Amino acid sequence: MLEGILAGLSTAVMPTNLMMVMVGCFVGTFIGMLPGLGPISAIALMIPITYGLDPSSGMILMAGVYYGAVFGGSTSSILINAPGCSSTVVTAFDGYPMAKKGQAGKALALAAYASFTGGTLSAILLLIAAPALAQVSLSFQSSDYFALMLVGLSAVAAFAGKGQVLKAWMMTILGLMLSTVGIDKGIGVERFTFGLTDLMDGFSFLLLAMATFALGEILYSILKPEPDTSAEENSALSEIGSMKVTKEEVKEVAPVAFRSSILGFFVGVLPGAGATIAAFLSYGLERNLAPKEKRSEFGKGSIRGLVAPEAANNAASSGSFVPLLTLGIPGSGTTAIMLGALISYGIQPGPRLFIDNPEIFWSVIISMYFGNLVLMILNLPLIPYISKLLAVPRTVLLPMIIFFSITGVYLVSFNTVDVFMMILIAVIAIFLRLATFPLAPLLLGFILGGLMEENLRRSLMLSDGELSFLWERPITLSFTVISVLVLVAPILLTAFNRRRAKKSVFVDECD
Amino acid sequence: MQSTPQSLLNRDRVSGLIFLLVCLIYGYQTTQIQLFPGDEYEAFTARTLPYLLTTAGIIMSLLLIVMSPAKSPTEQNCNTGSGSSLDWRLLTAFVVLMVAYGVGLTWLGFVLATSLFLLAGFWLLGERRKAVLLGASFPFVTVFWLLLTKVLDIYLEPGYLFLSL
Repeated sequence: MLEGILAGLSTAVMPTNLMMVMVGCFVGTFIGMLPGLGPISAIALMIPITYGLDPSSGMILMAGVYYGAVFGGSTSSILINAPGCSSTVVTAFDGYPMAKKGQAGKALALAAYASFTGGTLSAILLLIAAPALAQVSLSFQSSDYFALMLVGLSAVAAFAGKGQVLKAWMMTILGLMLSTVGIDKGIGVERFTFGLTDLMDGFSFLLLAMATFALGEILYSILKPEPDTSAEENSALSEIGSMKVTKEEVKEVAPVAFRSSILGFFVGVLPGAGATIAAFLSYGLERNLAPKEKRSEFGKGSIRGLVAPEAANNAASSGSFVPLLTLGIPGSGTTAIMLGALISYGIQPGPRLFIDNPEIFWSVIISMYFGNLVLMILNLPLIPYISKLLAVPRTVLLPMIIFFSITGVYLVSFNTVDVFMMILIAVIAIFLRLATFPLAPLLLGFILGGLMEENLRRSLMLSDGELSFLWERPITLSFTVISVLVLVAPILLTAFNRRRAKKSVFVDECD
Repeated sequence: MQSTPQSLLNRDRVSGLIFLLVCLIYGYQTTQIQLFPGDEYEAFTARTLPYLLTTAGIIMSLLLIVMSPAKSPTEQNCNTGSGSSLDWRLLTAFVVLMVAYGVGLTWLGFVLATSLFLLAGFWLLGERRKAVLLGASFPFVTVFWLLLTKVLDIYLEPGYLFLSL
């Protein structure tokens, strides 16, 4: 393990990779500050660039963009009450009231320190948890993998949000269906290609990710324009006030940051839960734990209410790397894109990554420390300057991002059919968004589809076509039970709530 | 309350019906996947997962159709109201522009097609300043093209129009 850590450290401190962390954090912060564009779009836009880099540098760049985008989202949440992504919605609850009181500088500084604490503590936990989990998962067989993938897919659907579970499942199935297009890897026959040579290799991951999360998001913002907040954000940044935090304040928020980081990390590890749920949970927990006089401050500019979600969402971002790096199962849409990128580099994600490519495994973890440092030491003082970039009018920015999205795909294949296919998928993605279908499960299903089919094939072959492989091994059985529970729980909960609602109506009517 | 055809066909049910149609087409195409002799005795063939997905997809879409609550005409009116804030005309213009850009890449080459695409994109979004329209398109694309071809050594075809000259 020590050898691996040293290999990772030497890879992470290479000048190119240090530069990748810095560039990633800057670009991520900038994109994260743009309303409507979150970490997932920021990472999708980076994929074509990472194709020219070696896998470690590519992953480090994407991890930096991830942190930067979450940080950028917090900035716009605090300054103008416009969260760049869902995980920073809670930050606005107390961050924006603080900014309105003229304490924007303090709020930004506290957010940065909380993010740093969350990121650092979770990186330490990751350092301990990831190799341990990877060691355990070395004993996994194909049936365990298949059941584990079922857990991943069902968890993502279960955490999709109220009323969206069924739709998330449908999107997962659609993603799995898309993954079956092309020549079947096991038998070598064409499937769903309609005789088109462009479909023989199936859909490209890059094309699908860029179409749904980069081009799709931009076209959606053209269809449903959000108010141009760049001027507002700029004026807010010109008068942010002091960034100093007093000793008493540090004393007050230190335990909050610690608790929220630990909670955030473990929530982040759960597939599908992610940074948004972590932020909400830690906010709720801290409100309940706060003394009475402090509890009333929540929602009105409480520093505890700001620090808790900020530490938790950053810790959850690191936590989501645990299933990605150790099991090859992404916990969120963002890490799903990273998994897709790893597969595109020709690297087999999963427990073997830790043994076969230790430099990637460890350098990504170690670069997280650097990423957190860059965000706090370099990005925080530079926030007013980074925001100057937002002065670029929307009329220029949007066509530029469309151009980068299309060129990103075109420069990889030099095939204009890919461009047309990307436009078509982006338009379909817009209709799906309008019908409130979540898109992250689609990508997750698409990425896991190939691996899932491969493991199902092996398991069925070994068990002679019997489904008993799902309960013969204790690990497989555990995963199967978990996935069934995760699948059935939301349905039972909905039915229970409906019954309760009906009962209360009946009681009301009787009254 | 009586159900009208409008209240029965809400957004979720229409989505469910479309998804059901997609699953049926997918299922039909699954039956067209080639099988080798003896495959019928195999535990797993190229059709196995697609069949499972078709079944799961049909069940899910039927569940969505059945479980989605029917909305009253008032609710539907509210929905249509929110839909009116969507700028479909601008989106269509951008989709046409992007398709034209795809065609232009082959015929006009990277520099000209991209510059014209950006110029038209700025214009569509309401930019009218000549300095921005011309300054952020042609010079920017030329610098980007130089970076790709001279620094990164990426070959970009000049376009059929220029090749035929």
